[in-house]
Amino acid sequence: MGKDRLNKQGAKVRLRISGLSKSYDVKNGILKAVDNINFEVYDNEFLVILGPGQCGKSVLLNMIAGLEEPTTGTIELDGKKINGSDPRIGMVFQKIALMPWKTVMQNTEIGPKFRGINKRTRREKAQMYIDLVGLNGFEDSYPSQLSGGMKQRVGIARAYANDPEILLMDEPFGALDAQTRYAMEEEVAKIWQKEKRTIIFVTNNIEEACYLGDRIILFSESPARIKELYVDDLPKPRDIVSQKFLELRTIISENTDLAI
Amino acid sequence: MTMKKKEHFGEVKKYTILDIVYRILPILSISCIFLLWIYVSADKPQLFPSLQATWERFIKLLEKPVMRVSYLGHISASLKRVCIALAVSWIIGISFGVLIGWNKKMDAFFGSIFSFIRPIPPIAWIPLITIWFGIGEFPKIVIVFIGAVMPVVVNTQAGLDSVEQMYLDVGTAFNTNKKQMLLEIAIPSALPSIFAGIRTSTSTAWMVVLAAEMLGAKSGIGFLVSRGMEGDDLPLVLVAMITIGVIGALLGVVTSFIERRLCPWERIG
Amino acid sequence: MNKPSKAKDPLGRGRGCSSYMYTMLSAAGVLSFLFLWQIALEAGLLSDRYVSRPTELIFLFFQKFSDTTPDGSTLPVAILASLKVSLTGLIVAIFTGIPLGMLMGWYKGIDKFVRPLFEVLRPIPPISWIPLTIVWLGIGLKAKAFIIFFAAFIPCVINSYTGIKLTSKTLINVAKTFGASNFTTFIRVGIPSAMPMAFAGIRVALGNAWSTLVAAEMLAATAGLGYMILMGRSFARPDIIMLGMIVIGALGALFTGVLNFFEKKVIKWRAAK
Repeated sequence: MGKDRLNKQGAKVRLRISGLSKSYDVKNGILKAVDNINFEVYDNEFLVILGPGQCGKSVLLNMIAGLEEPTTGTIELDGKKINGSDPRIGMVFQKIALMPWKTVMQNTEIGPKFRGINKRTRREKAQMYIDLVGLNGFEDSYPSQLSGGMKQRVGIARAYANDPEILLMDEPFGALDAQTRYAMEEEVAKIWQKEKRTIIFVTNNIEEACYLGDRIILFSESPARIKELYVDDLPKPRDIVSQKFLELRTIISENTDLAI
Repeated sequence: MTMKKKEHFGEVKKYTILDIVYRILPILSISCIFLLWIYVSADKPQLFPSLQATWERFIKLLEKPVMRVSYLGHISASLKRVCIALAVSWIIGISFGVLIGWNKKMDAFFGSIFSFIRPIPPIAWIPLITIWFGIGEFPKIVIVFIGAVMPVVVNTQAGLDSVEQMYLDVGTAFNTNKKQMLLEIAIPSALPSIFAGIRTSTSTAWMVVLAAEMLGAKSGIGFLVSRGMEGDDLPLVLVAMITIGVIGALLGVVTSFIERRLCPWERIG
Repeated sequence: MNKPSKAKDPLGRGRGCSSYMYTMLSAAGVLSFLFLWQIALEAGLLSDRYVSRPTELIFLFFQKFSDTTPDGSTLPVAILASLKVSLTGLIVAIFTGIPLGMLMGWYKGIDKFVRPLFEVLRPIPPISWIPLTIVWLGIGLKAKAFIIFFAAFIPCVINSYTGIKLTSKTLINVAKTFGASNFTTFIRVGIPSAMPMAFAGIRVALGNAWSTLVAAEMLAATAGLGYMILMGRSFARPDIIMLGMIVIGALGALFTGVLNFFEKKVIKWRAAK
């Protein structure tokens, strides 16, 4: 536990980020959001990107998801460069973004539906993940009938139902109240135990990072640069008031200007 | 005497004087209207027909057709024109609105002409259309179409122009192609706007058909109004006006009903 | 290479165009339309009896400044007549409709009393009042202004009513904690926050009024733009009709522009959003 070299030896690399930068053209010059990021993501690990608000970590995630184009640098998935949104990379959005005119089932199955998979197969798959996130019975409800936590669970089911090999989560619990947030963190940890995927999870909450992550990459303020890497190998499920947990949290928070 | 209102945390509330006043006021208002009607029609019957005269004219109308068309026949004539024009205006209007709302280049090229034509009130088209097509069914439907298509286009365009980027991002992340993006994401999210346009177009269509009928027709409720005016038959005018009001209100109800059926996710929660 | 990225167009939305290109495309659209229109007439595809050339219309516009055929007035006179009627009706409607709507929205008693009358009158389109109005007030300024008033009154009331109803409860509570009376809260909180909707109502009223004006002038007038195009029909002068339509449309757009300008001045705080 604690600081570590940026790259692990001997682990299978799924995603490689090299020299990634993003700049925007603004009225009085150029705004740099992301500055020369390099890191690797390993198979089936839970990687957390931790950084203060507005630092550019969402931009980084958007680039990986293909929603924005990098200014420089490359993203390699399993050794090959990717360009634009790759169907093997799924995303859970911060603003949840469920289509209000679709039911829970219809929302969950949109990935396979857009890929042209037939109704029965995609319904079964969607049902599996609706059950996995604990929303059995709500298949025909509309998002406006669900609570915030339930909506985000649909968001997670929707991402999973598309069979992604890499799952991106962009501050998925930022819009939830504290108690729901704790519950959702537990949910995600449980789901990950049941269905292991490679996950890149973005947050600004140190406790959340320590609770969920195998490795935690700490980002600086805007423009986003990597400050430090931490390894969290406490056994899961983690106890957020255990001595070791609090130690890790303290180490990280001392390195940032983030409030705990 | 006290009456129970609601049980609120165990309390029992009494009706206040204010509640009683509020209940009476609408009734008072309606009675005032009726009293005013009776007074004015008694005082100057040539200016405003009495209740009795209006009622009698209504009965007579049901029995005796005007210009060889029965009362219901006139109503259905007007409604037929409205329905045909509305159906066509929705199809064309939504398509055109989607075109200029979704693609900015199309908006620049085609939308510019549209925004020059739009300020011309539909009624102002009547003389031109009459010169072109005469006084028949087709020109009337064209005029109603012109009036109805404008709000549909405007609202559809607004709806598609302002699709939330969030939903488009979801589409991109889930690898939709352009067709799916438009049909499955953009248009459904614009449906509330599109329906606002449809609602407006319905009431506009009703108004325009009446104007068109008043300015040259042989059937329809607008025709009844102008017929009454020419023949100094004020009770007929009044009956026609009341009919117009009732049907206008009904059209609104029907449109709302259809909207609620097609968009079940609205108004829930 | 550190160039900021250019916008791609993955959605097919044609979004990559700048405002310069937009203006160019708009101009191109309008010009091609006018060009095709002119050519169709020159080539005989459209008949001169039904449609006039754009060039003829421009010429007619200037000619009509002194020519009184066929409706009996020059263009400026017709415009003035229409403006007089519409502005009279509109201004009265605005200054009675908006206060009434706001009062109805705030004071339940007023709402309960006025509402039935309103609900009865609302579904009846202003145009259908024209015959009755002519019987009562004759064919003059008063009759037409009354109909315009009616057409403009209703949206003013409805929109100001909605605007007041939508006043944020939080703001009302803030005023209450400062000890403001109901009336003061109405003036200081309700009315300002209902202004945007009131202006939206005025915009609708403007459109209605202008539209109804044309109808009123066609049915009962001796001067004005609506009368002019009616005469154009009677005398088989499509050029007069089209000129009239264009002037009507242009004036309508002009008023909306003026209204938007006023709105920006009055509701400065909204622009900051």
